Amino acid sequence: MRAAWTLLLVLVGFGLQAVSYFFLAAPLGVPSSPVYSDPRLPFAPALFILGVMLVFLAAVVYELLPERSSP
Amino acid sequence: MATRTETLPYGVGRFTAGWWLLLAVLAVLVGWGLYAYSRQLAEGLVVTGLRDIGSMAGAAWGLYIAFDIYFVGVSFAGITMAALIRLLRLEELRPVSRMAELLTIVALILAAFSVLPDLGQPVRGIVNLLRYARPQSPFFGTFTLVISGYLFASLVYFYLDGRRDAALLARIPSPLQGFYRLWAAGYRDTPAERERHHRTAFWLAIAIVPLLVTAHSTLGFVFGIQSGRPGWFSTLQAPAFVVMAGVSGIGLLLVIAAVFRHVLGERERLHEGIFRWLGGLLALLVLVYLYFTVAELLTTTYTGHEVEVRLTLALLNGPYAWLFWVSMGALVLALASLVLPYVPSLVPVRVPSFQPAFARAAGLAAAGAGLVLMIYRHSPRLVPVAGAGGPEPEWVGWVLAGLAVVFVLSWFPLFARSVVAAGVAGGLLVNVAAVGKRLLIVVPSQTHGTLLPYGPGSYTPTWVEYSVVAGLFALGTLLYTLFVKVFPIMEVAEER
Repeated sequence: MRAAWTLLLVLVGFGLQAVSYFFLAAPLGVPSSPVYSDPRLPFAPALFILGVMLVFLAAVVYELLPERSSP
Repeated sequence: MATRTETLPYGVGRFTAGWWLLLAVLAVLVGWGLYAYSRQLAEGLVVTGLRDIGSMAGAAWGLYIAFDIYFVGVSFAGITMAALIRLLRLEELRPVSRMAELLTIVALILAAFSVLPDLGQPVRGIVNLLRYARPQSPFFGTFTLVISGYLFASLVYFYLDGRRDAALLARIPSPLQGFYRLWAAGYRDTPAERERHHRTAFWLAIAIVPLLVTAHSTLGFVFGIQSGRPGWFSTLQAPAFVVMAGVSGIGLLLVIAAVFRHVLGERERLHEGIFRWLGGLLALLVLVYLYFTVAELLTTTYTGHEVEVRLTLALLNGPYAWLFWVSMGALVLALASLVLPYVPSLVPVRVPSFQPAFARAAGLAAAGAGLVLMIYRHSPRLVPVAGAGGPEPEWVGWVLAGLAVVFVLSWFPLFARSVVAAGVAGGLLVNVAAVGKRLLIVVPSQTHGTLLPYGPGSYTPTWVEYSVVAGLFALGTLLYTLFVKVFPIMEVAEER
């Protein structure tokens, strides 16, 4: 269970980083109009930062979640 | 079972008169820095020496950005050492591991606080960064990778690494028992928990090493990929930032380790082997940095664009020459002091041309003269208008630099005998060099590096900037000083 939560956090963190970087932030490419300045979704950069933090938070979850008690 | 007579280790919870005095001095300095910053908030950036590039003949980035880079660089030591100790099993260095981790956290907090005064409207700046920034930009990378990633990773590593000690200290009756229980969060130091912690720490270390290289490189890329700014556009910028980060960080770690060795009387745990190891690593990094500098200078002076050559001459032989040569001299002296303990004792290490007492007096006089000059030139009354300061006469800088060299040379016989003294000297000197080099990266490319037909400019920090930076240093020391009184600065020994 603990490993599953940790893995989930890592995946969500990296996923958030990828989605916000490639799809929600300012488009990649040669800037030819003001469209290339602002992110498609406001606060997309904040989501990227949140993704970075979630990945490292997974380590805390892994250590702090108690072992499943043996029957 | 623990008894009531048991005390907390490494001076935790013991508050001496000296400690309170230090706390008071630091609090006054922090207060002074806050006052200076309040003047800037109330009156705007006009109270600083920062001006526009070109038309106003100044520099838009100055002391604040230089110290931001410096603090980020210092942060390199902590998490790198922690990660290397874990990955390479450098058990010998374990006693300095927590000092280094704390140094990283404090330095990154100071780095964040250094950027804020550079923004006229800090709140608006932060909100807009989160709202509109381009994650693809190196500037944003600096904030995300350095502040969110690097700082957060350091905090996680620090917290998890401290759980064992927190669990041990929670068994001792003290006013901080509740705090230790909270930190331990149920940790009992069982073999299974230890194993789990080792696994987590290993993977964290694996994740952190590439992150720190990326983070420090990104800061270098903020400058390195600006093709329109001579002096910044360089392939070596990113690797040089990483190496200089290591130099300043490990240098400061050497100084901190020596302070705790002296204050706590922990000569056995903080043994000479640690100083030898860190000193050797520092010497290697200094050599690499000197090589980078020579390569960079050769390229820019031999084949550089006209503006690039002009900028390089301003560094080598112009208004910034004294700062450049002081920085280079400090690096060379640091290298010499770090190597001295390994010079065979058959070779007498002494400078016979002057008495050490005279040299030390001259050095102290130089430091005092520099301080008085700085206070005089940057006192609030003397800088009512833009650009009123201006650089000091060139000879003043050269005289002060010469006296500083004499001062350092007078200590060489001591460095030859003691690896700890050599480490402290090397650590202090490389940090002087690091501050100088950061200023030289940030300022001359703005005052002398414009591609437009503007004349050279000048930048002189005002008392506001000096006070804010002094306040930041005091804040960092204050955080460090407070922490060591509530938590052991070294891992608690096994027998506890």
